[in-house]
Amino acid sequence: MIGFNLESIALIGALGLIVIGALGMVATNHLMRMLLALVIAEAGGNLLIVLVGYRVGGVAPILGVGEPGAAMVDPIPQVLVLTAIVIGVGVQALAVALLLRIHRAYGTLDLRALRDRMDAEVAAAAGVAPDASQEAPLGARPLPPVPVGVTHGAGRTGPLPALERRA
Amino acid sequence: MIPDLQLSTLWAASPANLVLPVVLPLLAAFLMQPLARVAVPLARLLGPLVLLLSAAITLNLWLQLGATPFSLTIGGFASPLGILFHADGVAFLFALAVPVFALLFWPGTASGGGDDRDQGARRDALTLLLVAATTGLALSGDLFNLYVFYELAAVASFGLVALSDTGRAQIATFRYLMVSAFGSVLILVGIAIVYLQTGTLSLAQIALLAPETLHNPIGLAAFALMLIGFGVKAELFPVNTWVPEVYAGAPARVAALLAGLVSKLAVLIIIRLLVLAFPQPEMAQIMLVLGLLGILTGELAAWRAKDFPRMLAFSSIGQLGLIFIAFSLGGELGLLAGLALALHHLVIKSALFGLAVRWRGSIEALAGAARSSPLAGALFVLFALSLVGIPPLPGFWAKLLVLIGLAETGGALALTVLLLILLATAVEASYLFRIAIRLYQDVPTPVAPHGRRDLGAAALLGCVLLAATLGMQPVADRLGDLAEQLNDRTRYIETVFPLHLAVKD
Repeated sequence: MIGFNLESIALIGALGLIVIGALGMVATNHLMRMLLALVIAEAGGNLLIVLVGYRVGGVAPILGVGEPGAAMVDPIPQVLVLTAIVIGVGVQALAVALLLRIHRAYGTLDLRALRDRMDAEVAAAAGVAPDASQEAPLGARPLPPVPVGVTHGAGRTGPLPALERRA
Repeated sequence: MIPDLQLSTLWAASPANLVLPVVLPLLAAFLMQPLARVAVPLARLLGPLVLLLSAAITLNLWLQLGATPFSLTIGGFASPLGILFHADGVAFLFALAVPVFALLFWPGTASGGGDDRDQGARRDALTLLLVAATTGLALSGDLFNLYVFYELAAVASFGLVALSDTGRAQIATFRYLMVSAFGSVLILVGIAIVYLQTGTLSLAQIALLAPETLHNPIGLAAFALMLIGFGVKAELFPVNTWVPEVYAGAPARVAALLAGLVSKLAVLIIIRLLVLAFPQPEMAQIMLVLGLLGILTGELAAWRAKDFPRMLAFSSIGQLGLIFIAFSLGGELGLLAGLALALHHLVIKSALFGLAVRWRGSIEALAGAARSSPLAGALFVLFALSLVGIPPLPGFWAKLLVLIGLAETGGALALTVLLLILLATAVEASYLFRIAIRLYQDVPTPVAPHGRRDLGAAALLGCVLLAATLGMQPVADRLGDLAEQLNDRTRYIETVFPLHLAVKD
């Protein structure tokens, strides 16, 4: 059969979502956007699983729905996708909690700045000279300024400081 | 009707007890928080007790029923409709290793205080969750169940890493979470493809249907997706960017569990998939190339690393690359080599991270450390020698098996890989011995010695290594049996579907 039917459009859509999500995850330096890109990719993956069990014109796989002997959609992928969605949402919630803590500790969600800080901190905790920044083109580039009143770094034992409002 | 619950049922040689090593830690993990509010000492004891109990149950089952593989259908729903646990020698081995290693690297007792108590209970609960999930990974015979246990292990490990309250651990966890979650999407797509092709998720039935449905380019795509997805935890080459930051940011005990146990269980899933559903040369070739890239990048980065934990992290990437190369050889020899390397790495890397509890700092700062704690120094030298592969030690035999396998395979690719492994070994020797020399330097103020408990686990694992050296022949024979069992696809199918015996022939 030539041309697009519902299934192939949905299939392309699902794969497209995964690709968009993957590209979004590598293309951005903002951690929140990275998380949103992941959400898109997960939606694509879940859609793909539902499509695997989809039958054109199928009815819900419940006894007494539709004509006896009518085509039914496969219930197993739907059950799986419920599990996958729940797991996905749980992981996303955990990610948001982590983002909140990162923002409290550093006042930024920019990956480049955070990576430099992290490398510097790991190096400082280990007592070695940090590697050159991956982002700095030539020579040393100063790290983004540390927000006032926020201490960060190795060896802190107390709870994280409260989230500060920034303009 | 409530069955007659007696303590003796725990020791009965009943396949149903196979669920206990998964269920008990899970139950204890969720009891931990309320219990810690009521009785702190009891909560502190709960974890080790449950781990001891599940280790004992697993060992008991292995000794009594382990002679032949068997499967347990959960809830009485027969496969392929139901979900099952499949127990063969390798599954038992890893299901036993999980509680034992978790016990060895059990987080220490936190001293008093309101916050500390909660923190301690959380850490204990997450460790138990990790134990339950990884035991499930060893035993599960259902693709989707594997995914669920894998995610559970992932979430528990995110929690364990993020619990160390430094900002850098949070960033490391977030990046780990991103890579891991994207890997999960790839696993899901792979599972969707497998389900589309076979219409089932039971590993045994997939194995049964694989020759007609999965031995084609579509199956190759599914395997590649799942390899990358499960490879995140197995520190496979392109998806291991999280490894150094997480191992450097997490407490050394957590790093020991992640590098030692969790990575091996992820490898085990990949090997099961490879043997059961995708036993074609193309699949092995992908693993070979990714493993090679892993060993090269890992060892070179470890050579450049300036601090002990990151050096261990990079070297762990290299070692897992070698494990993937070994398993990609296929056949009993490849599986034997891979199993030997995996167990060797499990023992050694966990023990080295055990030493890193005290040796957190730069390699420079370790000067003279062996003089303040001679046992730690001696253990490091022992582990380094075995990692590099100095003859009487087990690491040598494991590496030799890989090299023999590669030489037997022949061809330009295999011989190039062989040469590169030797090169990587030279690099490995160079950085490990550099540290060993530094440990024995004469300096006025060496670093503080290890605590007794930190050193205990490493010393015990050192004894295991020496015992394996002395009893090489019996150990090799046992591993050979396990590899044979792991390689036996027909037996796996027949264990789950006894009736298919007649259908197949």
